[in-house]
Amino acid sequence: MDNLAALPTTKKTKKDIHVGRILGKAFLYLILLVGALIFIFPFFWMISNSLMTLGETITRRFLPDVPQWINYKEAWFQASFSKYFLNSVLITLGTLAGLLFTSILAGYAFGRIDFKGKNVIFALFLATMMIPESVTLIPNYLLIRGNVIPLPGGTWINTYWALTIPFMANAFSIFLLRQFFAQIPNELWDAARIDGCDHLRFLVQVVMPISKAPIMTVLLFGFTGAWNAFQWPLLVTTRDTWRPLMVGLHGFVQEAGPQTNLLMAGAVITIIPILVVYFLTQKQFTQGIATTGLKG
Amino acid sequence: MESNRELISTKSRSAFKQQALKDQITGILFTFPALLIIFVFGIFPIGYSIYMSLFNWQVTKGPYVGGQNYLLIFGSWSNLLVLLAGLGLFVLGFFVWRKAFQSLNNGSRLAHIAGALVLILGGVIFVTGWGLMYETGNKDFLNSLIVTLYYALGTVPAEIILGLVLAYILYQDIIGKEAFRMIYFLPYITPSISTAVVFQIIFSSRETSLANQLIGFFGIDPLRWRFEPKPVLNLLGFDVSGLAGGPSLALLTIIFFGIWSFVGYNTVIFLSGLGNIPKEIYEAAEMDGGSKWDRFWHITIPMISPVTFYLTLIGFIGTFKAFNHIYVMRTPSAQNTVVTTSLLVFDRFYKANQYSVATAQAIVLFVIILGLTLAQNKLMGERVFYG
Repeated sequence: MDNLAALPTTKKTKKDIHVGRILGKAFLYLILLVGALIFIFPFFWMISNSLMTLGETITRRFLPDVPQWINYKEAWFQASFSKYFLNSVLITLGTLAGLLFTSILAGYAFGRIDFKGKNVIFALFLATMMIPESVTLIPNYLLIRGNVIPLPGGTWINTYWALTIPFMANAFSIFLLRQFFAQIPNELWDAARIDGCDHLRFLVQVVMPISKAPIMTVLLFGFTGAWNAFQWPLLVTTRDTWRPLMVGLHGFVQEAGPQTNLLMAGAVITIIPILVVYFLTQKQFTQGIATTGLKG
Repeated sequence: MESNRELISTKSRSAFKQQALKDQITGILFTFPALLIIFVFGIFPIGYSIYMSLFNWQVTKGPYVGGQNYLLIFGSWSNLLVLLAGLGLFVLGFFVWRKAFQSLNNGSRLAHIAGALVLILGGVIFVTGWGLMYETGNKDFLNSLIVTLYYALGTVPAEIILGLVLAYILYQDIIGKEAFRMIYFLPYITPSISTAVVFQIIFSSRETSLANQLIGFFGIDPLRWRFEPKPVLNLLGFDVSGLAGGPSLALLTIIFFGIWSFVGYNTVIFLSGLGNIPKEIYEAAEMDGGSKWDRFWHITIPMISPVTFYLTLIGFIGTFKAFNHIYVMRTPSAQNTVVTTSLLVFDRFYKANQYSVATAQAIVLFVIILGLTLAQNKLMGERVFYG
């Protein structure tokens, strides 16, 4: 009797739980969607404003009546964006090449070679992650200006070197690669060594091909770092010769003032390369973060 | 036979030695390029900064002035001493107080009270030292520290909580997980100079700006957003003014921008951290009948604590280093309510050409970051659960 009475209620609670689950899930999706909307809205607003007439940006419509593609052309030519764009591309490529070279080598040495002084150097590298740029900025500026040690060519202000070399190594990339390289089984190295492999060949032929994910992560972070750099380029470029996109855009913001539509077109131009690279690398990139165990 | 074996072993021993030597050389060679750059642009400048701060250096090097540039900040050495003494007592009191909590002796109550007293005393002395400094020292610098603190407290906890919530939800069975993650990460990788342009428009002081239209929807009068130096509390009707009244609306706008930019990074890192928690633990808890909430509170939170610790540390250091976000969002009318220390240092250097004053301020900032990092390590490091 007791059992019979209990049966329907259990059924009911089960159904309740089921309904509750669906409601709970719906709630989760709601949070995710609202979050996604907040994250994506500024981008939408940027693009839609970049296609408006000046009048439309003032009346705050959501979408332009007729997309004004000419805004992009105007922004591109009015602010010599083409020059800045090319500069940014070259600076980013140079920085990335240097960054990959130094961090793959150092990451390998820290992760897989036993040598004296290793721990001291590694700790020193990691400590630099804590140092605020405010401290290093001024001496670096004097260094690049040629006031601390004599530089070939006198001063490096307005040169390609000033914008690339200081960023060709950083502790974060080395740390990330070290974490991954250290996990590679020793048997691989033993086998390679019996075949007469030295460290360099092992690194290039075995380690690098299986480390695509963390290398992509370093590349993406390096790319965004170089592309988005602002404070340093602002300091060391006084002419357009090597001025990158971000400094150019900042100048444009101050010149263009209320021309919202052109400003937005300029902003869109600056983020397109980042978006392209991100969409292309994002799979390896997230894998890279997961496999290197970036957890401090 | 015997000698043969010996031969082999000496041979392999010398081969081993040779390998060790090779390793030593390769190791040094491989790290050299990175070491060179990091040393020249990351480590050497610290020493050079300290050197510069001891001179009267404006564009070019002037006479040696010793600690004069630091005195400009603190007003007098005795002010600094009072401040540090207060800080020391505060830390001491904290430890006594906590020791008392841990022990179960009879004397613990006494130690408790003593600890609390020392704690309060330390706090009072610290505040006195701060007041003295504020009277005679560099007000701009001290203000900038408060602004930086507001900015850190406004962004870091929010970023941690939102990041964890989003990551935890995404970690469930969610359709379109990849797409969500990609969208959340987008603000982090796009240049702040570009996204700031949109935020400037959204939070402009015009009546028709998006932010004003949004609050108008709730019947609130238009605000001046990033042009508003008044504290938020003041706008809410409380009678406060100046920096003591909390962050200004202008700073709050920048805080929004900061949160929007960095939540995605925390989400991605949290997500990979969640992936590292063994599934068995959840399964065991489910069998024991723990609710979803229990599981989140008693398993996820402790298991994820190393990640939380890492992100908090990185976040706090990050806010003390933050520059681009604030630099591009600031307006002249927001006055000093948005000038964090890193901006102040930049202004001193770039606009005022007072190199040595700027380096002295930067070094004080660096020492504060070091202190905070140590404190955080001590405080949070003990609570962190390393699986």
